[in-house]
Amino acid sequence: MEIIRIEGMTKRFPVGNGEFTALKNVDLSIAEGEFVGLVGPSGSGKTTLLNIIGSLDTPSDGTATVINQDVSSLSHKQSALLRNIHLGFIFQTYNLLPVYTVYENVEFALLLQNMSATARKKAVMDALDWVGLTDKIKSKPAMLSGGESQRVAIARAMVKKPKIVLADEPTANLDSENSHHILQTMLKLNKELKTTFVFATHDEKVMKYLRRKISLADGKVIADELMQTEKSKQY
Amino acid sequence: MIKFLLKGILRDRSRSLLPIIVVSIGVFLTIVMSAWMKGIFTDMIDMNANFTTGHVKIMTRAYAENSNQMPLDLALLGIDELKQNLEKDYPDMEWVSRINFGGLLDVPDKNGETRAQGPAACKAIDFFHNPKEIERMNISKSLVKGSIPKKPGEAIISDEFAEKFGVKLGEDVTLFGSTMNGSMLFKTFTVCGTIRFGMTMLDRGAILMDISDAQLALDMENGSTEILGYFNDGNYDKLKVEEVTNTFNSKYSKENDEFSPQMHKLEEQSGLGDYLAMADGMIGMMITFFVIAMSIVLWNTGLLGGLRRYTEYGIRLALGEEKKHIYKTMIYEAILIGIIGSVLGTILGLGMAYYLQEVGLDFSEMTKNISMMMPPIYRATIFPDLFYIGFIPGLIAMVSGNALAGLTIYKRKTSQLFKELEV
Repeated sequence: MEIIRIEGMTKRFPVGNGEFTALKNVDLSIAEGEFVGLVGPSGSGKTTLLNIIGSLDTPSDGTATVINQDVSSLSHKQSALLRNIHLGFIFQTYNLLPVYTVYENVEFALLLQNMSATARKKAVMDALDWVGLTDKIKSKPAMLSGGESQRVAIARAMVKKPKIVLADEPTANLDSENSHHILQTMLKLNKELKTTFVFATHDEKVMKYLRRKISLADGKVIADELMQTEKSKQY
Repeated sequence: MIKFLLKGILRDRSRSLLPIIVVSIGVFLTIVMSAWMKGIFTDMIDMNANFTTGHVKIMTRAYAENSNQMPLDLALLGIDELKQNLEKDYPDMEWVSRINFGGLLDVPDKNGETRAQGPAACKAIDFFHNPKEIERMNISKSLVKGSIPKKPGEAIISDEFAEKFGVKLGEDVTLFGSTMNGSMLFKTFTVCGTIRFGMTMLDRGAILMDISDAQLALDMENGSTEILGYFNDGNYDKLKVEEVTNTFNSKYSKENDEFSPQMHKLEEQSGLGDYLAMADGMIGMMITFFVIAMSIVLWNTGLLGGLRRYTEYGIRLALGEEKKHIYKTMIYEAILIGIIGSVLGTILGLGMAYYLQEVGLDFSEMTKNISMMMPPIYRATIFPDLFYIGFIPGLIAMVSGNALAGLTIYKRKTSQLFKELEV
């Protein structure tokens, strides 16, 4: 079942007196439960594409439909609601809130959904269980390693059980062992919860886990291939 | 969500401690300055009330119109009966009669010839039967030498006058002037004390005597230039004064009888009404000043806080929180911080105001040459408004500062979030 559909999409940014075209006439379709990577060098348009899928930005031309909603036609409020309910974000630098504990960082995503305290507690504990951090619920981000911090960020993205998780270079700040651990965790969640994962990356470690690799260069999709690596077959 | 934000405020000192300190200091200063200014104005008003105006003053209509000239022929008569009626009608007030008049004080030598003369500002009060009058005018503490008059024929003169003309205790001085009926007045008093109020206006040529001596000398039996009314609790109450004045004037004051008594409120006399309005205006101006100054400081604090929390707001936007909601939570936080800071500042400010009320600051050395009627020790006054007045600058400044700083949230582009959050 198609969850993301992009048709003839172009994105232009004003630069000085002219314009810079970040994405050129992109067509793309991503089905529910895919584990897909947007791959390409810096400036290829990965993050711009991720922005539009995440309803953080809108296309200049063409359409981007995410979970049956045309991103261009959404108001700020509707965009926020889409992100709040259906989308999870994982950033390169974790971006945990330093004054809150691990538990509270994960819980925050649910506070915006007005979930009851009991349901919230269960969801947070489940999410921390998925990433193996139930013993760190009272720790502050400063007390965590990079790998642990990124696992908290995954738990925060996953706690509301979103349909899509968007991850921008999630392993860029991690060593090899932690990267693999993180990717295995995401792969497991992709399998168990049927969550669609979309990565923007040029990290070789990530590519080994991808089931589908969409290569971008100069704002165009230059390749779209299914992957059959050992890692991607694990789950 | 509120609990979540509260935790953040309590744990992040830069979000709580600094703004609370700024708000507390502002509120503290507002409270202390308001109490201090109120104290100064109240002291000056009390001093005027005690010496000249009373909380209310009764004069004949004609005397009131020419009171600057102290025309004895227009004085009140039948004051004993009037005072009895006043005590019956207004039992929570004390009524005292006084006579103010001018004259010439003559100091004779041992042969009875004039040694020195000077203008006299005479004030006759009830020394013999009303110790409150002595206390009200602070006479005991202001005596430089001698004692207060204890028997007819004794008077206190200004210490300055006594020093200048070498008048000693026990010596006689003669007062020249005119009686109520226009006859010549010659009355000799024995100097029983010298006095210095510390205010040139009161000390210059002052001579104080018992009212019975003055009545006798001025042919003013059962008369006085004025009757002053004071509330027994010592506090000037505008509403009560209004009521007392209206009932008295409607009962006693007749437009076609210039000798009928007329009651005047404190603020109707000597421009004290303008003075009271000025006091309120200055307190209002001061609060406005603090609101503006603190808003600017807290705006900057809010901007710095906004910069520090740039990532947090970015994450919240990415997670699907609306800009409007983030802005609202900022305002809620500001209200909370504003209340905590205001409560703290109010407690500290009231503590300081209480200290200044009880101890005060002595400016007598600095004001000894000033001819205005001013108190030598300045004290703060705690008044009911102080319990909430600090919340005006505290809350308004904190909320407006944060509201201004928070506008940057609306300028933030969500399309930049990935880039911004990957620093």
